[in-house]
Parts: sequence; C-alpha cells; structure tokens
Amino acid sequence: MDWKGYTVIYVVLFVFATAQAVVEFVGIVDSAYWLAFGIIMVLSVVKAVGVAAYYQHLRWEPRAVTYLVLGGTVAALALTAAAAYSIV
Amino acid sequence: MSEAHDHGLPPKSSVSRWFLTTNHKDIGVLYLVTALFFLVFGGLLALLFRLELITPGADLLGSLGYNQAVSTHGLLMVFWFISPFAFGFANYVVPLQIGADDLAFPRLNALSYWLYLFSGVLMGVSFFQGSTFAGGWTMYAPLNTPAYIPGEGLGATSVVLALIMFTAAVTLGSVNFLTTMYRMRAEGLRMRDIPIFSLSINLTVWMMLFAFAALLAALMILTSDHILGTTYFQFANDGSTLATDADNPGASLLWAHLFWFFGHPEVYIVFFPALGVMAECFQTFTGRRLVGRKWFIISMVLVAIQSFAVWMHHMFLTGINLPIKTIFMATTIGISLPFDLMVFSLIYTMAKGRVRFTTPFLFSLGALILFIVGGITGVFLGAIVLDYQFRGTYWVVAHFHYVMVSGATALFGGLYYWYPKITGKMYDETLGKIHFATYFVGFNLLYFPMFVAWETPRRVFEYSQDLQIWHSMATVGGFILGASMLIMFYNLFVSLWRGEDVGDNPWAYATTAEWAVSSPPPLENFPGVPTYADGSLSFMDDEEVARRTSGPGGSGVAADGGTAADGGTASVTTAATATPATPAHEAAGEEHASHASFWPFLVSLGGFVAFLGLSGVRTGSVVYVSMAAVGGLVTVGSLFGMTREPFHAPEMPIAERWPFASVEKMKLGMWTFLASDIVLFGAFIGSYAFVRVAYGWSEWHHDLIPAEHVTMPGLINTYLLLTSSFLVVLAMVAAERESKKGTTAALAGTFALGVGFLINKGIEWNHLFHISTEMFPNGWNLSTNIASSTFYLTTGLHGAHVTIGLLICAYMTYRAWTGAYQGDDRAIEYFGLYWHFVDIVWLFLFPLFYIL
Amino acid sequence: MVPHAAIGVPLHGGDVRAPADVFNSIFEVFLVLGTAVGVLVVTYTLYHAIKYRETAGEDPYADKVERPSMGEMPTGGSGGRKVFYSFGISAIIVVSLIAWTYSSLAYVEDGPQIAGEEDITVQVEGFRFGWAFIYPNGHEASTLKVPRNRVVRLEVTSRDVFHNFGIPELRVKADAIPGQTTDAWFTASETGTYQAKCYELCGSGHSVMVAPVEVMPQDEYQSWYAGTNGTQNGSSNQTAASVGGAPA
Ligand SMILES: [Cu+2]
Ligand SMILES: [Cu+2]
Repeated sequence: MDWKGYTVIYVVLFVFATAQAVVEFVGIVDSAYWLAFGIIMVLSVVKAVGVAAYYQHLRWEPRAVTYLVLGGTVAALALTAAAAYSIV
Repeated sequence: MSEAHDHGLPPKSSVSRWFLTTNHKDIGVLYLVTALFFLVFGGLLALLFRLELITPGADLLGSLGYNQAVSTHGLLMVFWFISPFAFGFANYVVPLQIGADDLAFPRLNALSYWLYLFSGVLMGVSFFQGSTFAGGWTMYAPLNTPAYIPGEGLGATSVVLALIMFTAAVTLGSVNFLTTMYRMRAEGLRMRDIPIFSLSINLTVWMMLFAFAALLAALMILTSDHILGTTYFQFANDGSTLATDADNPGASLLWAHLFWFFGHPEVYIVFFPALGVMAECFQTFTGRRLVGRKWFIISMVLVAIQSFAVWMHHMFLTGINLPIKTIFMATTIGISLPFDLMVFSLIYTMAKGRVRFTTPFLFSLGALILFIVGGITGVFLGAIVLDYQFRGTYWVVAHFHYVMVSGATALFGGLYYWYPKITGKMYDETLGKIHFATYFVGFNLLYFPMFVAWETPRRVFEYSQDLQIWHSMATVGGFILGASMLIMFYNLFVSLWRGEDVGDNPWAYATTAEWAVSSPPPLENFPGVPTYADGSLSFMDDEEVARRTSGPGGSGVAADGGTAADGGTASVTTAATATPATPAHEAAGEEHASHASFWPFLVSLGGFVAFLGLSGVRTGSVVYVSMAAVGGLVTVGSLFGMTREPFHAPEMPIAERWPFASVEKMKLGMWTFLASDIVLFGAFIGSYAFVRVAYGWSEWHHDLIPAEHVTMPGLINTYLLLTSSFLVVLAMVAAERESKKGTTAALAGTFALGVGFLINKGIEWNHLFHISTEMFPNGWNLSTNIASSTFYLTTGLHGAHVTIGLLICAYMTYRAWTGAYQGDDRAIEYFGLYWHFVDIVWLFLFPLFYIL
Repeated sequence: MVPHAAIGVPLHGGDVRAPADVFNSIFEVFLVLGTAVGVLVVTYTLYHAIKYRETAGEDPYADKVERPSMGEMPTGGSGGRKVFYSFGISAIIVVSLIAWTYSSLAYVEDGPQIAGEEDITVQVEGFRFGWAFIYPNGHEASTLKVPRNRVVRLEVTSRDVFHNFGIPELRVKADAIPGQTTDAWFTASETGTYQAKCYELCGSGHSVMVAPVEVMPQDEYQSWYAGTNGTQNGSSNQTAASVGGAPA
C-alpha cells in the first residue's frame, strides 16, 4: 500500500472518531442510550478493524495471524460477556 | 580453545557460565534445579501444617502462621514448582525433539528464567516483611486487599508483585516457545507430527499465553489496590459499611471471575506437560506407538480451547444464575470426556507391548492410576448438587491433589527418563524403584484419607475429633512422601559421579530426536540440519544445505536471511542494529550462534530490586523508595544494554514453518505478544464492564462520575493517536523509499504526538483530581469510587503502554537520524504493530470511558 | 403429622425431600458407581501392564505389531478401535449420571412449593468471625433457631470479606459475599443442635467461625419467636458489629 491508501484510511478514522463525539454532542446518548451505544461501538469496531487490516497489514499476512489475534479477542469477550451475564 | 568454540560461554564447571548462558539446555537444567528447590520449600511448609493437623487446634503455628503456611504452600507448588519443573524439560527437550538448535529468542529465554528465579526470591523475602500473604492461593477478594491484611501488609504486596514477575516470565516464555515451534521445526515435521511431549508443551504455552494475561490483569489491579489506592476489590469505600450499602457490589465476584478464568486453564497448564511425559514414557517402555495418537492430539486441542469456558464451575455457589450454571456444568462435563479417551489411549498402548518396569515407567503408570482416581472424584464435583456440598471441603483438596500431584508424579518419571540424556550418566535403578514404592504409598496415605475425612472444611485447623484418625494418617503419609523424595535426591546426586556412562540412547524403542545425539548433546545439538523429508530423521551437511538454499525452488521451504537478532518489545530495533555491530567473522557470513549474555540476569536483578522497593513505597520509607528507583533504573538501563548488545541467533536455513512461513520470527514474536496483550486489556475492559453491570449500568454515570469529566480531552487524544499511527506508516513508506529525512521526520512526529497525548492526559487528570463540587468536594481521584478507579487505572495502563512506545520511538528516531532503516523498514514495522495496537485499544477506551 | 390448625401455620410434616436427602441419595449412587468404575479401570490398567511385561526370549508379538525405531516420524499405533469403545462406554456413564443429577438441581435451587405453607426467611450475615441471623421482625441473633418440618429460606451476605455459610448435617451451603445476596434453603425433620461453619478462608479466626443452629418443635419456636418482637432488636447486633464491623 502506498501513502495515498494510508491517507484515505487516516481520513476515514478521523471522521469516524468525530462521528462518535457528534453522537454525544447532539444528545442521542441522553435520549436513546442503547441506540447511541450501538452506533458508537460499531464505529469503534470498524475503526479497529481498519487499523489492524491496513496499518498493521493483517490483510496481507497469512490468515493464521488474524486467527491469533481473534483468539485473544474471543477469549477476552467470552470472559466479559459470560461474567456480566452471570450476575444479571 | 573452548572459549572460541563456545562463543564466549565458559565451561559447565565454571560458575559464571550459569549466569551467562542463553543455551536452552543449560536453562533447562537451571529450571529443573530451581523448581526442585521450590518443591522442597513448598513441601516443608506442607509438612509444617500437616504436623499442625495431626490433632485439632493451632498449637504449633498459631492461626496466622497456619494461614500463611497453607497459602504459600499452594502458591509455591502451583506457580514456582510444577510448571517451571515441566518447563525445565520443555527447555531441554522441545528444541531437540523438533530439530531446532535453540529457542527462537535465546536471550529472552534466559530472561524468563531469571525473572522466574527472582520472583521466587521475592516470594521468600516476603516472609521477612512482617508476615507473608495469608489469604489462600486463590486470593479471594476483599481478603486480599490492605484493609483486611494484618499489620502493614508489605509481605502480601510482595507476594502479589512476585506473581506479576512470574507472569512476565511465563508470557515471555510462551511467546518464545510458540515462535520456536512455528518457525523452527525440522523439514517434514508438520505440527501434528512433532513428538507428543512437544505437542503437549505447544498446547500448554497456548493456554499460558491467554490465561496468564488474565491473571496479570487481576494482579495488576490488585497491586494498584495495594499501592495506588484504587478500590476494585473493596465493596465499600470506608471498608466497614454493610454489604447492602455497597459502593462496588461486584468487587468480590470480579476477583473470582478473573482468577478462575485463569485458574481453570492453569489446571491443564500444569497437567498437559505431565500427560506429554506419560505418553512419551509409555511409548518407549511399552515399545508401542501411542494408540489413537490422532485422537489423543485432537482431545488435547479440544481441552485447550474449552478450558477457557469452564471457569464458573468454581463459582456455583456465588449466586450466579441458573442458565449460566447449566452452561458451565455442560462445558465441564464436556471437557472431562477427552481425558477419558486419553486415559484409554494410554492403557491400550500397553497391549501387545514389551512393558519394562523401569523407574520412569513406574512413575508414569503410577501417575495414570492416580489420575484415574482424581478424574473419577472430579466427576462428583461436576454434579452441581454434589458440588454445593463439596465446596470448601477436603473433597476438593483431595481431588485436586490427586490430579495435580499425579502430574508431578509423571514429571518425576520424566526426570528419571531424561536424566541420562542430561547428565550422560545412569541413575541407580534399584533406588529408583524404592523411591517409587515409598512415594506411591506415601502419596495414597496422605491424600486418600482426605476423601474419607471430606467433611473437614478447607484451610482450618479445627476439625471434629472423630476425623482425627484420618488426619493423623494423612500427616504420616505426608512425611513418607517427603522422605521418599530424599531417596531421589540422593540417587540423582550420587549418580552424577558413580552412575554408569550412557551412550546416545539407553532406552530400547525410544524414537525421538533427543536420543539420536550424544548424552549430553553438543552445544549446537545436531551434527547437521535435521530433516524428516524422507520419513525419518537424517541430517543435512553444509554442502547440501547450501545447494538447497541457493538453488531455485528450494523445495518450497522458506529460507530467509536469518540476520535478525533476538529481542522482545524493548529491543524491536535490534533487527537493524545487529548487523553493523556484528563481529567480523560473523559478518563474513559464518552462521555462528551466540550463547552468552549477562543482560538477562541484570534486567531481572533490577526488576527484583524495583519490585521489592515497590512493595513498601506506600510507607514512604526512604529505603523502599530508593530501592524502587534504583531497581527501575537498572532494569531500563540493562534492557537498553541488551538492545545494543550484538547477539546472533540464526534462523534455520531449512525448516517447516506452517502456518507462519511468511511471518519472520521477530514479527511472529511481536504478534504473539500482542495477542496476550489483547487479553490483558480485554480483561481490564471486561473488569470495567463487570463492575459497572454489578453496580447498575445506567446509574453508574449519574452517581459516580462528575460533570467535569467531559468528552473533549478524550476526543483530542483520539486525534493525536490516530495521527501518530498514520505517521508510523508514513515512516515505513519513507524508509522503503530510502528517504532518511522523511523517516526521521515521521518518527519524530510520532514521538511528538505521543508526548502531546500524555500531556493532554496529564492536564485532564490534574483537573479531575482537584475539582470541588457538591458531589465530589475532595476531587475525583483514584480512591473516590469504583468509577474513578476503573477510569484512572485502565487509561493509566494504556498511558504506560504509550510511554513504553515513546521510549522505543525516541530511540528509533535517533537511529533513523543516524541513517538506519533505509531500504529495510522491518524494525519500523514491528514497532508499528505495537504502536497501532496501543492506538486500537484507545479506540475502545475513548467511547467507553468518555462517552457511554 | 403435626396438627396444622393447632398452631396456625401449616407444616409440611416431614414429607418434603430435604436437601440432605437429595444429596445423600445422589452421593451414595456416585460412591458406589465411582468405586466400581475406579476398581475396574485400575485393574484393567494393571492387567495390561502385567500381561504385556517384557519376558525373556523372542518378542511374542513380533508378527502382530511393528516396534518403533529410532528417528522415525511419530505416528499412532494400531488398536484404536478399542479406545473408542471404552471411551464411548465411559462417556455414556458420565453424561447420564450428570444428566440424572441435573433433574434434582432445579429442586435444590428453588425448594418445594407447598400450597398454604409459609416459609421462614432468615437473613444471614457473615462477619469476621461469626454469623448474625436476622428474622423478618428485625430480631437479630447469633444462634439460628428454626422450627422442624418447615422450609427455611436463607438470604446470605457478608459484612466484610468473602465467607461461605454451611450447615454440614443439613446439607445447606451458600457463599456469603459482600455486596451480593445468595439464596439457599433447607428443612430439618429432627430437632436438635447443629453447627454452622465457614467454608471460605476469611482470616485468622476462620477455623472458629461457627454458629449454633437449633431445630426446635414448632410450638416452642412459636413462643420463642413471639417473645422476640421488636424490643430485642439490636442487642446482639451491637456485639456483632463491634466484633466484626471494623476491618483489621
Ligand atoms: Cu476448574
Ligand atoms: Cu468466614
């Protein structure tokens, strides 16, 4: 990937971060909390995938490296989700 | 001159060799000896409290002494004895079995060992800081927090810090072993083809990589509660109000979740290497290949994965809901089944065999029988209705000792099995058999009566009179077990001189590669590059290797340069630094590996002093504070020294590398490390989510967070980090184009933005610390409430990652300025992997801690 | 049967399956089966080890199995089918045993629903190092007094650290966690004095963190409970709080 591609990614990341803050500034967090929660977390995930895929070059590595990363992520998510669910 | 031949490594008779060595075989021996020392340490503590238990009452140790003995016995045996003992074998044997000449990062391996040793020393020192930790090896909250620790509690803090140091050793070791096993297998050895002991180690380190990261999170949080005053594990801020008025109702359960998320995989982390040794010994001493090997391996893989989904069976009585209990009951039963298969696989391996009852086989067979008993009594615990009543009783104690010490039994078998390989001498077989007989009798006399006396609550010294006979029996058994170990020590020690010399292979039907070389093996392990390309082990000479690697095609096996030096996060830059500093004869193309470095010892010594200092900084004592400072400086300084040191760890010219053939070893090491860091941060974020759910997700923001905590500083920091990430990729682009100016400028920009991030954070924190509102008249600091604790600690951990990144970035900027990296951007790429990861973490911290 | 009307509150009369009955019957089955399976498998193991021990002279199985050789690529040995049969049998035993106990779990969790019967609910608060029992009328005591043949429900929590409340003879147990409340229930058909213990290490007094449990005839309980109304509230509370309230 050349610097132009990286720049496009950078602009997208910048815009998405701003969008997250906008969701708060326009008051969606107060009026429709879980909608805002959904939008904001999805934006975060998209940004994270963008950084990992392009800046960390996961797209061009063997898939096994992605699985390695997913392994850690799934473990952490399992802990979080199951622990939180156990007390609701 | 041997000095020149061994590349700076003094002979084994010289003490200095053992401080310098980075060779996997030497380090294996160091691990074995050190682990046996901790076995004696933990064992003596056990004998002490078994003596206490011979009659009811605490007449010998006193109640606090008793609790300390019980707690540290557990910690020492689980952490400092059994796994490191197994990793002594792993260090020695795995490279030999897979055909490697050493581990991928020899200096990191030495660093793992020294961190392990010094963590144990810190554990020992804790006994002299008033009193050591007394809250049980499970360290339940909030008994593990300063409010409930008698006295100053510095010893307890030291224990927590020792565990952190130990975890650091384990994580480095996991990264090292995984990189080694995926990048350095002899040609023709697919992952499924590597010997069963090595496979068991492979799965063990996978579990270690993720499980210990969760433990690290728990320990870091606990340390912060001890030293910084956060309130994660305290249910009420003033420490005394009723539970129903709790400020942090998730406190105790948070610890339980984090600890057992680590704790159950830990059971298999302890047991898998033992299983590997058993399978290896069964094959050799029955003269049969492992029956159902494929399914044995599949079973182990399933267990390793599923081990992360059973932890709540330790929490059935905590009030978790019925659906989750049902799920965890099902996964628990599910995970027991593969073990049935493995047990039967071992049993049928004996069929039509030529079974020889040598000492290693007796120990392996004994371990199998003990494990069968442990397994059956474990099924009792899988039935929740029974589990409720067994909870906190000797049934649990007896069961897990049958499982864990059966693992230790197999490992003692392993010690006899590989003793001739390691020393070149044969042990005394008769004494070995006597050892086994006394050991087996002692073991069962110690642990079986505990099943009978199962109504005794755990960790008490008072029990009802009618159970006394069983407890007295157990105590006698404990002493027999202890005495049997003296026979082993005597046997192995004396055999070093009196033992018969053995050749390459004293065991008929042994097949694995460690038996194909001399005993002990030479420093470089093999007479040539090992290969299994034509179905069995052979060695390629230099000529053939040269022909294969230079010729077109090269049989499809990746063969890359092999100039990358070894190093970890702190030395990602060495890939590029090693070359100019390499001694002339190595630069001339000779592939001579380095085997000596003093830095790992020094880094660990510094870490030890720093941690010992940290344990007491909250007292304000000058001694402790200066120890922390000096130790910290020594650590950072020697890490820098290690980075600058020319150290050559060549990659194998021809090797099997699926599925990471195109991922250079430094990069693979970095990615593996990051995977564990994902779990670390995941556990921090998970902790935040958990305590917030326990408190009430929606009330949290309103009750606990001041209005002054606004989005803007977080948004600015998001921009700063995103831009800095962008600059790192630009630095790569510039380095590829060989623009020295561009590379330097981009890296300097990254550095500046990172510093800006920290300054912005500092201003924000300072403001929040000193607000004075109706709700928070005394500011909003680390101890104000659980929300402030999670905010400062989680973003603080992230800030620490940024700081480490900045140190590396500063160094790299300087290197770029002096002309490094041009045309070879790998070092920048590896640093980038870390930096982008830190960026990604912030992408989640920002919304979670600033918006939602 | 105790005459219900005579004392105003209906009893279950001892025909309710107590948690102790559930535990004991299941435990018995597990013990018998577990011992049988254990003896069988260990014997089977030893049989194989001894039967196939090396004997002097020729290898008797030389024509049936191939012996491994140095440096060979690791592979599996023949005879895998038997592994599967044995594994299948063991899996069936284990899974059906656990599934069978699961049917009792819902009962042990929620307790019996008896029409017309009024359960007694007692709050149990653990502290270092003792137990406080708080009745619906606010009375707090250091002894747990309950009538026989009544379902007793416990709401267990802690004032300081993690404890575990258990009455071994009555097979009732629950974690006592600060900030959380856990539920448990039991019923006793024999009057007498039992002992509650702590099953989670909680500090220097853990071993002696016990409390008496008195199971009394219904009428005796009634008159005792009637006498506790309002006034006594707080007396034992004070001692409890002063012993256990402040952390070390
Ligand atoms: Cu477990
Ligand atoms: Cu207690």
